[in-house]
Amino acid sequence: MSGFYVLDVPEFAPLVRAAEQHERCRVHPVIAGYRYIEFDGEIEIKRDTTGLGEAVWFGCLTAGLDGKITSFTSDAIKLAPTNEPVLGV
Amino acid sequence: MTALAPSLSGRLSLHGVDHTARPTWKLRETVEFYRDILGLPLVHAITAKGWGREKEQHADFIHFFFESGNQSCIAFFYYIGTQQPPELVVPKGYMAMANHTAWRVETEDELLAWQKRLEGKGVRVSQFVKHEILESIYFRDPNFYPLEITRALRDMEELDAADAKMTIDAALTLEDSGRWTNIEQLWRAKADFVQKLLQDAAAASAS
Repeated sequence: MSGFYVLDVPEFAPLVRAAEQHERCRVHPVIAGYRYIEFDGEIEIKRDTTGLGEAVWFGCLTAGLDGKITSFTSDAIKLAPTNEPVLGV
Repeated sequence: MTALAPSLSGRLSLHGVDHTARPTWKLRETVEFYRDILGLPLVHAITAKGWGREKEQHADFIHFFFESGNQSCIAFFYYIGTQQPPELVVPKGYMAMANHTAWRVETEDELLAWQKRLEGKGVRVSQFVKHEILESIYFRDPNFYPLEITRALRDMEELDAADAKMTIDAALTLEDSGRWTNIEQLWRAKADFVQKLLQDAAAASAS
């Protein structure tokens, strides 16, 4: 399973709303203050679908990532599954 | 045996900022900036012949304080007759900006009013920047010290503290590895902590 966590606070709520509209994302319910957003394969989330300003956008995975970042710009983030160790080999 | 004073018998706590201080070699510009442009009252000034530290050849000085709200002050030392050491020149670049002072205002209107006031006095001020729980403007004083005025967008909750703990716990693990190079590693390491939290929460609710 690949995905990322989102802290259940107002400033990250736009990211959850964007994920809810994303055809490859499945938004899980909040548990202990965190929401898991599961994704299949490689996904792209465009910043303009979230409405986030850059300062929050560039920290939008701060609650944790099960996967890897293949691209992260001010316009979009691309995430993919990974089995690579966190610190490489 | 003498009983401990109440403040020492329980958990020690601090009660906000009294003052922070830094050196200046621009007395007039500093006074004009903090007193006249920012409008902070000059509330105290100490003048002294060194600190009596003859071995250090401690310069005579003025230590002066501007009140910046809630009984806190921003203060300066002006060392008379000295030159600014190169290592105390504020470097350019983002890393030196980490060492900054951020003052609080309560409302967006207040933040806007401060932005307009500073711009009206010829100070270069940033646009509003939202950082998760804060919205801020940034500028510099005549010494090039970075300054910020900010307002809270929401209160900090217990969840924020719990999340911060997991962030730091994950970061400490990575720092100990000696191979930590980027934020993606932190986000991936933190996911393990969050996953365990959720598993524990699920187990607790099932039992």
